[in-house]
Amino acid sequence: MTTVSLTDVASYLPGEPVPAEFYTDFPGAEDKLRNHPMFKVPPLRHHVAVDETNADMVERAVQPLIERHGGAEIRGVDVLLVHSQLPDLPFVGAGTEVARRLGLHPEWLVDVANAGCASFVYMVKMARQLLTSTDAKTALICNAQSAAGQWFTQSQVRKLAQAAIPGDGCGVAFVTTSAQSPVLDVETRHIGEYAGDMTLAVDDGRKYWEPGESQLRIGFTDASVAKVLARGNRLVPEVVTDLCRRLGVATTDIDALITNQPNRTFLRNWREALQLPAERHLNTFDAYGNLFGAAIPITLDRAISSRQVEDGDLMVLGGFAHAGDFAGAVAVRWHGGRD
Amino acid sequence: MSEESSTLADIPGLVRIENAGKEELTAHCMELTHAVYPHHQVYGQYCTLHEYVDCPPEAAYDYLRQGHHLEEWTCSLRDFAPTGTPGLWVGHDRLEDDTRIYCKVLANPEAMTVDYHCSWDQGEKLWMIYLMRVVPARLVLDKPGSVITWTNCRHPYYDDNPHPDLAPRPDRPWVGDYWDLFYAGHTVEMHNLKAILEHRHRGGLPVSVTPARAEAQ
Repeated sequence: MTTVSLTDVASYLPGEPVPAEFYTDFPGAEDKLRNHPMFKVPPLRHHVAVDETNADMVERAVQPLIERHGGAEIRGVDVLLVHSQLPDLPFVGAGTEVARRLGLHPEWLVDVANAGCASFVYMVKMARQLLTSTDAKTALICNAQSAAGQWFTQSQVRKLAQAAIPGDGCGVAFVTTSAQSPVLDVETRHIGEYAGDMTLAVDDGRKYWEPGESQLRIGFTDASVAKVLARGNRLVPEVVTDLCRRLGVATTDIDALITNQPNRTFLRNWREALQLPAERHLNTFDAYGNLFGAAIPITLDRAISSRQVEDGDLMVLGGFAHAGDFAGAVAVRWHGGRD
Repeated sequence: MSEESSTLADIPGLVRIENAGKEELTAHCMELTHAVYPHHQVYGQYCTLHEYVDCPPEAAYDYLRQGHHLEEWTCSLRDFAPTGTPGLWVGHDRLEDDTRIYCKVLANPEAMTVDYHCSWDQGEKLWMIYLMRVVPARLVLDKPGSVITWTNCRHPYYDDNPHPDLAPRPDRPWVGDYWDLFYAGHTVEMHNLKAILEHRHRGGLPVSVTPARAEAQ
């Protein structure tokens, strides 16, 4: 069977870092919860510019890949997979716009709208499948997250404890048929029973696209947050453990674990459950906040740049989505160092 | 109420809806919720387990309150006989050779609590205390049968035998050396208890049996 590698990753973070005070000093801010790990404010995060789109971010994130692998190589990808956490337009995904900007003519183009914060894992799985079962040889995977600087800065939403946690950014990956940094295995689960538990709250009951005064926010109640905590606590260790079992390794053999990073509580709980020391569970929460689906490729890019991931490392990338409707993990033997 | 509040205000560290608020309370509880807990954190100082048993609570309580049934459902307590002290029995804990265990049952039929006050080697101070309770499953699980809970607390003597001189031999291991296996051992015994009670109840057999020694006498 053809071996597929996670050949390289790159990322883009918009603008200058935004300090925590952007939220904590905002008049009427809800500060009571900020001492709790679930809502403790990351010191920094990035926000998209007012006119910055998902396609803009992808275009910028891909530039280092073009520099390292050549424009022709990237332009020639057979597969383009794009996940936009907050689509700029209904109907239209960012994929074709990304193709236009970068001059791509992919045989396969999918705007992935599911798998949320773990969509990178799902897209690696899709890319691997396409690269092993079709003529396709290379794939570009893109995760753009632009909700922080748009939704969570709305005047009413900005006061909420939830607003200070997200950050914006974009991570991209170049996946190829090669044995350099092989994707060893992928474990994914779609969990229909948890579908629909994450809702958008619009206080006047309008549809999100209907005119009105109320501001769109994520509609987690205390009770639903408790359920999501319990599901996340269980799902991510489960998929990572099942993946490791299939590979015949212990979770403690993971050299570098990178997950989505919703808050510090999840990060703590996952590494405890997988019996990994903090230094092997890499995250960028303090610098970038909750990056939703972009967290895994962005953190991976930073880990490679800062040599936190070394040649030969067993890397596991995993996470869960929304209120638990998807969970997945992928294992890669990393040999993609940039010298 | 205001009087109560003013009294409570002097007590540091209270987390109540009045001072924390609902959202903060929830956030606090989430922080305390982990995906996994190390064994010593859960069972290091206290060892509690619970089991559903398909046997009426009255019959389960009646079985437990008769101490001689320990010979049936425990792994290693055997051969109980009365001592000279009323209510105090002595038997063998076959976990270790030649080890005597003293036991007294304190039961409360209204609360359906059965506490076994026990000790290895001597019957003067009974400090190994097994706290059991039968709860009607109808109340807590909305089904017939019983929920049985069982708690042990780590008395300091578990870590430090106060009377090593009473051991049958100097190298006899101490009961407290087994503390870290208590959850597992008690789980095995709870399964025995469940199996016995369910077998007899479902088979229409008498749940309680006469002590073997009383039969022999």
